[in-house]
Amino acid sequence: MDLVYTPEQQDFRAEVRAWMDAHVPREPLVTLECREGFDQHVIWERTLASGNWGMVTWPEAYGGRGLDLIQWLIFEEEYFRAGGPNRANQNGIFLLGPTIMEFGTPEQKARFLTPMAKGETMWAQAWSEPGAGSDMAAIGSKAVRDGDHYVISGQKTWSSRAAFADWGFGIFRTEEGSKRHKGLSFILFDLNSPGITRRPIRQLHGDTGFAELFFDEVRVPVENRIAGEGEGWKVAMATAGFERGLMLRSPGRFQATAKRLVDLYRKHEAKASPAAREAVMTAWMQAQAYAYNTYTVAAKIMAGGSIGAEASLNKIFWSELDRAMHRTAMQLLGAAAELRRFDDGRMNQWLEGYIFSLSGPIYAGSNEIQRNITAERLLDLPRVGAG
Amino acid sequence: MEFLLNEDQLALAETIRDYLAGTHGPDVLRRLDAGDNRDPVIWQGLVDMGLTGLLVPEEFGGLGLGLVDATLIARECGRACLAEPLVDTAFVVVPWLLAQGETEQMAAIVAGTAKPSVAHAINPWVSDGEGAALDSIDPLRNLTRQANAASSDPLLLDLGALMSAAQLVGLAEAMLDQSAAYAKIRTQFGQPIGAFQAVKHQLATAAVAIEFAKPVVWRAAQALTDGLSSASVHISHAKVAATDAAIQMAETAIQVHGAMGYTYEVDLHFWMKRSWALAGAWGSRAFHLKRIDDAVIGGGLAIGPAHTFA
Repeated sequence: MDLVYTPEQQDFRAEVRAWMDAHVPREPLVTLECREGFDQHVIWERTLASGNWGMVTWPEAYGGRGLDLIQWLIFEEEYFRAGGPNRANQNGIFLLGPTIMEFGTPEQKARFLTPMAKGETMWAQAWSEPGAGSDMAAIGSKAVRDGDHYVISGQKTWSSRAAFADWGFGIFRTEEGSKRHKGLSFILFDLNSPGITRRPIRQLHGDTGFAELFFDEVRVPVENRIAGEGEGWKVAMATAGFERGLMLRSPGRFQATAKRLVDLYRKHEAKASPAAREAVMTAWMQAQAYAYNTYTVAAKIMAGGSIGAEASLNKIFWSELDRAMHRTAMQLLGAAAELRRFDDGRMNQWLEGYIFSLSGPIYAGSNEIQRNITAERLLDLPRVGAG
Repeated sequence: MEFLLNEDQLALAETIRDYLAGTHGPDVLRRLDAGDNRDPVIWQGLVDMGLTGLLVPEEFGGLGLGLVDATLIARECGRACLAEPLVDTAFVVVPWLLAQGETEQMAAIVAGTAKPSVAHAINPWVSDGEGAALDSIDPLRNLTRQANAASSDPLLLDLGALMSAAQLVGLAEAMLDQSAAYAKIRTQFGQPIGAFQAVKHQLATAAVAIEFAKPVVWRAAQALTDGLSSASVHISHAKVAATDAAIQMAETAIQVHGAMGYTYEVDLHFWMKRSWALAGAWGSRAFHLKRIDDAVIGGGLAIGPAHTFA
């Protein structure tokens, strides 16, 4: 162990910093959970792509830079240091991209990865159904084979970005009468296909980030299936692993929030409680701990290791840290916490962030599921019920 | 930049873990507790493994290893709930003496014949000292009020806090293992209690705290090795994180053990009591939070996404 960046890593950091300082919008964008804000974020994705900073860990052949995970962490640190916007194509970059790289055919890679890297297609995920949330194996939406097409019928819900995105991915039951994890396939679909109805769901904050999707005999070419027919569960689990593993939430994001929280505390110190002061220190400590841990995991993966059930520990930690930091900020703001805009017209990003942080312990596998996984796979406690 | 502990470090720690598991199990703790707490045979075994000389330079007969290595061994001492004063002598006093150029006692420390302990102003009593005995809740601690003048050197405090943090990680990991093992064999309502989510989730929550305390301890050890000006902040961070994880784990462990955990008969109490003892030793939670406060809120430390390691 030596915790000193190499000269090459320092040069790389300087390069990212210079680009971000020159390109990150000075004013925060409108939330990407509405049409106006989503469009602003798509423009930002294209700006990133113009500098070849869209998908830095992807191979160069697909529009990436082929960076290693430590370089990725440095990139993310600089991204959040500069106050870079949320990524509209999060689902594509970190979930679908790695999935296609692992399981896709050369044709699928060329067809889907390159436009994604250029910021041309925005992706939505479509995992959950009304009866299949934490219990994802209860999926009932069907994709029935008809020649060289699947005919999809059913319903998906809580589809992130589906209100405004171009394409979606999810798993569907391709084997008639199959149960649970068997007979599912991983399929990509154009959200503008005939037969798809999107019904945006108004979220807690009043905007519409996710949507219900209704499929009424939607015809999707067979070549949109990733991996073999019936292998959907395996592919989805790999995708979910990327999500809650390393790449969904990089530490830079939380270190930036912790720093903003320290600044907020200093501003409100005269009226702050000792408990809030300790919570601010805890925010810094935990954000740092998360960073150290992520560097360690990244180095392990680079050395040929893999991340398994430990990913569940990560997901519990960052999601509960994020909620706690925003809760503390709300306490520090006091009466102003409820304002969507402050007197000077600025958006109350702490309020927006607090509301968003409440979804963290729910999405990407609820923290109850993560605690079950931790107990059963890391502590070897007995499994109960369907797995 | 290298973030991983290297293979030599991991192999050494594993060797010590296996050695202590084989020679210093719960039966030994009970035997020591029933007798006079220390056993020259156990001490000689540690000497023979080279552990008293771990940080002593080779020219004085030691292994010449570093503080990161020592934290890994201290963690194993915590895991085994080691009673002998190895950590205090070999991992706290030795590097403190060396930093002052004091090498006179090194050969005797390596040989195991000298076991110096130094009190710090922040805790003027030490384990296995020369002074009057104090009555610690930890039955194996041999706490004494130190007669010699207490030092107020911050390096001594940092070393003591760092090595306490490392031991607390090992203590917590041992309690997690004991609790998971108990939850698998204790049955109620016709199934192991570990099948109940109420039990699973408590253990998982404690496991999270332990997982995220570990890298903080290694990072602190590296910072002290490198002589970073921020090292004491990172050590305070490590002490707070490891203490919080161990205390949370201890409370979870006794809850999972139920009434059995409240007995003297079940092994758990040794680890729990050592955790209570080390939690307040070498700087209380308040002391360490104050150092973090001065750096983070006071502004002495650069913070934010570009400052993970600098």
